[in-house]
This record gives sequence, structure tokens and C-alpha cells, in this order.
Amino acid sequence: MQIPVIEPGCIPPDPVSPDSLKGIPRQQTNPARRSFENWKDFVGHLRSEGVFVREGKVESSIFVTDAGGLAFGLPHGVVRPNSAEDISKLLKAAQLHRVPVTVRGGGLTTEGESVAFGGILLDMSSLNKVLKIDAKAMTVRTQAGIFWHQLAEILRRDGMDYLSAPLNLTASVGGTLGVGGIDVNSSRLGCSSDQAVELEVVTPTGEIMRCSETENPELFERVLLGYGQFGVITEAVLKIRKFSPLTMQYYYYASLRTAIEDLQMLSKADAADYAGILTILDRAITLLVAFDSDERRKEFEQIWKHKLRGHGELGFGLLMARYYLLRPWKMEEALYIASRRFKLFPEFNRPEFMRDGKIIDRTVVFSRAVWKFWGGRQMVIPDLSAKAEKFVEAVERGNAVCRKYFKYYTLYCVGIKLKGNLPRYEMSCIPQDASDIAYGCEFEPMLRDTDYSRDYLQSFKNEIYDIGVDMGLSYYRFGGMMKGYIRRVFGDEMVDKHLAMKKAADPAMILNPDVIF
Amino acid sequence: MGNKKKKTKGYESCSGCGVCLLVCPLWRTTGAMTYTRKGRAKAMQGGVSHEEIAASIDACLMCGSCEPACPEGIGIVAMNLEQRRMLNQSRSSYPAWYPKNEATASPRNSKLPQTKTILMAGRNLDGDIKIVETIVDLLGGDKNIGIADDDGRDIAAAIEAGLPVPPDRIALCISLLRNAKNLIVSEGLLHRQLREWLPAKKVMGVGEALLNIPSIRRALRPDDIFIVESRGYHSDFERLVKFYDRLRKDTGCQMNLDLQRIAIPTGASSLRGLHNKKTAGCAEHAAWILKGRKFKRIVVEDLADMEVFQEITDVPVVHLSMAGFEK
Repeated sequence: MQIPVIEPGCIPPDPVSPDSLKGIPRQQTNPARRSFENWKDFVGHLRSEGVFVREGKVESSIFVTDAGGLAFGLPHGVVRPNSAEDISKLLKAAQLHRVPVTVRGGGLTTEGESVAFGGILLDMSSLNKVLKIDAKAMTVRTQAGIFWHQLAEILRRDGMDYLSAPLNLTASVGGTLGVGGIDVNSSRLGCSSDQAVELEVVTPTGEIMRCSETENPELFERVLLGYGQFGVITEAVLKIRKFSPLTMQYYYYASLRTAIEDLQMLSKADAADYAGILTILDRAITLLVAFDSDERRKEFEQIWKHKLRGHGELGFGLLMARYYLLRPWKMEEALYIASRRFKLFPEFNRPEFMRDGKIIDRTVVFSRAVWKFWGGRQMVIPDLSAKAEKFVEAVERGNAVCRKYFKYYTLYCVGIKLKGNLPRYEMSCIPQDASDIAYGCEFEPMLRDTDYSRDYLQSFKNEIYDIGVDMGLSYYRFGGMMKGYIRRVFGDEMVDKHLAMKKAADPAMILNPDVIF
Repeated sequence: MGNKKKKTKGYESCSGCGVCLLVCPLWRTTGAMTYTRKGRAKAMQGGVSHEEIAASIDACLMCGSCEPACPEGIGIVAMNLEQRRMLNQSRSSYPAWYPKNEATASPRNSKLPQTKTILMAGRNLDGDIKIVETIVDLLGGDKNIGIADDDGRDIAAAIEAGLPVPPDRIALCISLLRNAKNLIVSEGLLHRQLREWLPAKKVMGVGEALLNIPSIRRALRPDDIFIVESRGYHSDFERLVKFYDRLRKDTGCQMNLDLQRIAIPTGASSLRGLHNKKTAGCAEHAAWILKGRKFKRIVVEDLADMEVFQEITDVPVVHLSMAGFEK
């Protein structure tokens, strides 16, 4: 096979990686560490500008992989910026010396997007100060390296809360705004990116710019959901709200289709403040609904509760018992579901995180449960996002793939309210044909007790992503090792349009290489 | 397909979720991942040695906040102490705050207390006879509670520094506790050790002991902020988080607990803090505890915290034992 010479930063006709992504053009699953003849000049240049590059093994090895744990790479050096000016100097020097810069917040990517295969790792977690809480305008101005939970701790002292954020304590604000950010309330409040009012961005060529829907709107729309291609977000002004603890209710289903239809009914009618589906395999499907106020809960109970086709805990328990008693050869599965149910659900009601029957901080509760029950050194979470009409089929097809590959897995489904037809949604996790509310489903195998080969996991991801290509959907995690799908799912015309914008904004193609371009 | 694997719970098990960062006082003040438990675990997974992360191992305040936060259930405190011990085996110079001597086998002419409850005052209550006497009075007088001459402060210091503690020293210390059922221990770092050495005895901190007294409980008010001693609290997190939840319900008082219900430490009673509160960042940690809160009085469990809060605020700062007397 003839492998073309790849110039850093250009998009070549990629060779096929032999161990994964069968038949899909892409570069490499794990790109080799780059080498630079001019590295010392680059570091010296930055030092003369007051930007310190940490080249030690201790500093770099911390960032060797991301939450996915499948991509491994070491940066040549780590920069922990003290200001947007530091980042500006870094990016200007990187353009000049053609050194790639990989930006990292919480490192919660799963496809190696925040892993540096050489070059600079820009550790944004040092920019973590809340700058101003404006209770009148109901906004917060914060540095973008802050983790959502740090932000919550500070907002809570003022009785405030953010609107929607990933259910993960250590996701950073900047990283989230760059990809979307989905919460259990996203069917009502939209993704986290849509909570941004204003941003400070350092462009790939080092300009420090402010942008919003009225000031530099093109940049604003490119940076939000832009996968870090068009700038480094250094500050964000976000909408906030008054904090309120929430009450949660569970409805249990044996059918995915029925549960999804009910989720969509609630989401469309704005019947609950929070709504999502969490499953144990495809047998025990839980529709979670939650409310910020007793008034909303009462309204739900009067109008919507009786329309749901889910069962209460006792009724569902009896239903499951009957199902498995008639199928004794599936007893192992029944025991797994029962054991999982009795371990997992008490985590949502841990007394230390409840007050008067209400969950005090949903992110603490959910994030701890996520890491405890789904976390590990490796995490594989392919996903599909679809418009309402296609969603049931997408989930059912994805579920069949999960069944084929894994004994145990979980599906997590949630709606995402769209804020109109915004340019930021183009070539993003928001499917192009969606309107009003899009829906996303994560397919997460349980990897804890078993070692799987990377090829096996990759094949699983490919089969899920192939559904997206086949049905014309989108994905949340199409970057990094899955970037081979970008052209297949979005088409050459759209990808080339964005590539041209990228090349204009980032001439040396140094910012977050290998994420989508 | 897959192969079954055996679970381990050392630094190798760290998934890198970073939840421990959020509660780490060093990360809060330095923003440097290298100084955190996650940083050390990931670096060691990457093959670095104890010597290469010596600065991080030494910097840890041993507050124990990261352990109950860890979703993997890694025994982080034991791992941190073990790493200090390993580091000590290979290095020649020590930080200035390290204890000069190992734990010795000759404490001050220790007597054997005959009471069912023994107060081990330790460094935390040292030097304030009035407070010790008040605690004894509140807990029923010297007929009910004895004061341990040998309060294990040298053992606590040695453990914190990763220095060896001779077995006969431990044996002597615990032999003097044999008549007791309840141990009230001000050195939070000793709690988990004493539970291990003396599993039949009930080990509690000064805060819990005093807060079981109705008059002390009643003395706490909604405009008080009560500063829980972090090491003891984190060593028995699941039980104490409920205890302090009941306290909040009963009194309405605020506490130094974050959203994960971790007790934010000042670090004042760590070896680093006792040596130099400034370099240990105690004032910064205390400022974070108070940030955005509305209160009229600070009530501390750990005497070492008093000085820190007095330095950064004008509101009255009192020890819990004095909370009922202060107007």
C-alpha cells in the first residue's frame, strides 16, 4: 500500500487504519508522536514572551490519555496559561513554528480529542476563576477552564445555579461549550452551548476577541459547538437561575419504544423540568422525570402522569418476575438486572445528597453514580442523535448492536431543545433535519469486569456509527478516533466548507489537530 | 472477546475522573494538577517514580478529602501515607516541617486511666488547659472521663510524615487505653488507626462528643458556621455525614461542607500547617470556606483553626466547647 506523505495540518486522502474503521478513510487510530526540529526555538520564543513550557515527564504523563482510555499520546510540553494573553502568545508562536496545540479542560473526551500526540498540551484548568455574578442580569462571567462543579460551588453560595451542564463534575465550561453539553433538562433548556451569552476567544492566530450574538456573531457561531477548531474559549458569560433542589420520579418500562414515545411526549409538551431514559440492558427501562418546584410536579401529576405507560416499582418488579420465571435460561440476566437495580438506584437517593426528599445537587448525584457504575480506565460511549421521527428506530437499531457485542450495557436517552436554526448547529451533534427538539442516545457497554480488545470496541463503535450514516443522523462524539465518519455523515460539501473556514482561521492548522480535521 | 480480570484498588485503579481534584485544597489554591491525587496517580501510571513526584507527595495536607470523593473507592489516605513512607526510604533530605524524631517509646510517665471514656487531647488541644478542662466538665467531669497522658501525638506526627512507628510504641499507647470503651481523639489522623488497632472501642472526634451534649447542640445557631475537623470526619464519612446532617436540621447552623459534603479543611493542624500556616495556604483555604456565606460567629472543632479564622475575619471565633458560654 502506498502511504502518502502527510504534512502536518493538511487533510490528505487518508490511508485506512488497518486495525479499525474498516473501509473508512481516515488518518490513523493513534497518530504517531510528531517530532519537531524547531522545538527548542519554539520553547525559547515562548520563554522570551513570558510563557513557560513544562517539558517534564511528570507534567506530560498526567495527560497521556483521556476519559476514553483508548488513545494514548504524550505532548512535548504542557502550558498552563495564566491569562488569555498567554494563550495568544502561545498560538502566535505555534502558527509561526507550526507546532500543534491541543486544548484540554477536564479531559473527558472519549476518542482522544484532548490527547496531544506531540506538540503542546494547553491545560486550561488553570483558568478557573469566577469573575462576576450578576444577579440582576442573571448571568455569570467565568474563566472557561473552570469545571462546572467548581462553578456550581461558587454559584450556590449566592443561591444560584447554572441552567444546563453535562452530568459530570469535571467537565470544563470551555470544553463543553465547544461540543454542546447535554443535561437531563436539555429537552427544556437546550444544550449548554445555548446558555452562552458572550465569549472571550483567542483565535488560532492569537487575536483576543469578544463575541456574542451581536458582536462578532460569525466567530460566536463558529466557536460554539465548533469542536475547538476556531479558537480557544477563555471566558464565558452564561445564563444562570435561582437554585432549587429537585424531586425525582421513576417510571419503569419493558419496552424501549414505549418509553421513548413517552419521553418524547413529555419533552414536546414541556411537562417536566427534567426527563431522560436510563436502561439496564433493554429489559429494565427507566424514565426519569424531575421537577424544580412542587407546582410543576403537581401539574405533571394532574395532567401527564396517568398518560404514561410505565409502571411503578412494584408493578414492574412483578412483570419482570413473570417474564424471567417463564424463561429460566435467562436467570443470569435477571439476577444482573436485580443486582444492578438495587445497587444503582439507592445512589440517586443517598441521604447526604438529599434534603427533605429532594436532590440538592443533581450533578453530584449523577456524576458520582456515572463514575461509580460506568466509569473505569476505559470508556466506550458511541452515540446517535436524531430528529424526533427517526429516534425510536435509531435507538432500536443501536440496541441490537449492543446486544450483539456485549452481555451488559446501558442506554441513556435525552432530548435537546433547539434554539432555532442557528449556524452553530451545522456540522455538529445536532442533526441537520431536526427542528424544535433533537434526541440523543448513548450506548454504553459495561467494561468493568472484562478486558476487550481495542479492535472489538472499535468494531462496536463502527456499527453504531454506521447506523447514523445509514439513517442520516449525527453524533456527539464524532471527533478524534471517530473522525473518519465526518465526511460520510455530513458529506463532502459541508465538510469542505468548514475546512475552508478552518484553513482561513488557522493557516498552519495547529489548533486541536486530528479532532475533526 | 473478553477475559475476566481481577479488580485492584491502588493508583493503578485511578480512572482519571478528577472528582478528587474538586475537593483538593492544593488544587484549589495552586491549580496545578501535579499537586493532586489524580496527578500523582496518572503520573505513576505513566511510570514516574516517587522521587520524581516528591514535591507533590510532600505538599499533600493529608486532609483526607479525596478518599470519600473517589468513585473507585480507592483507599487514598493509606496510599498517600504509603507513598510518603516509600519516598522516605530513598531520599536524603526532608522538608523543614518533618518531625525531627521518630515516634519514641518513652512518653511522659503515662498513667492508666480508669474511666470508660478517655480524651486524647493531642496537639490540637495542647496548650489550652481551660478548653481541655471545659471539655472534661461538659462530658461529666473527671469521674466519667480521663485524660490520656500518652495521647499519641508523636505517633500521629510520624504517621503523617511517613516515618516508621515502632510496634512497641503503638503497643504501649494502646495498652493505656484498655479500660476505656469510648475514645475522644482530637488528632483526626489517629481515628482510622485507632479503629484498626482497637476495633472494639468507639472512636470519635471532639466535635461529635461535644455535639452529643444537648446544651452544646442548642448553643449552635443558624448564623453560626461550624468548622468540622476534616481528617476525623473523612475517616468515618458515611456515618458522620448523617450525624452532621442531623445537626444542620436541628440547629440550622452552617458548616464547612461543600456540595459533595466534604469538609473543606484549613490545613492548620497538618504538619505543614503547624510549621508554617502561610506556606500551607491556611488563610486561603479558610477564606474559601467563608466566601459568600453570611454568619455572625465561627465555631471550630479543631483549636488550630481558631488562629487562622481570627486572622482573616473580625467575627468572633470560638471553640465548640465554649459555644454555650459566648454571648
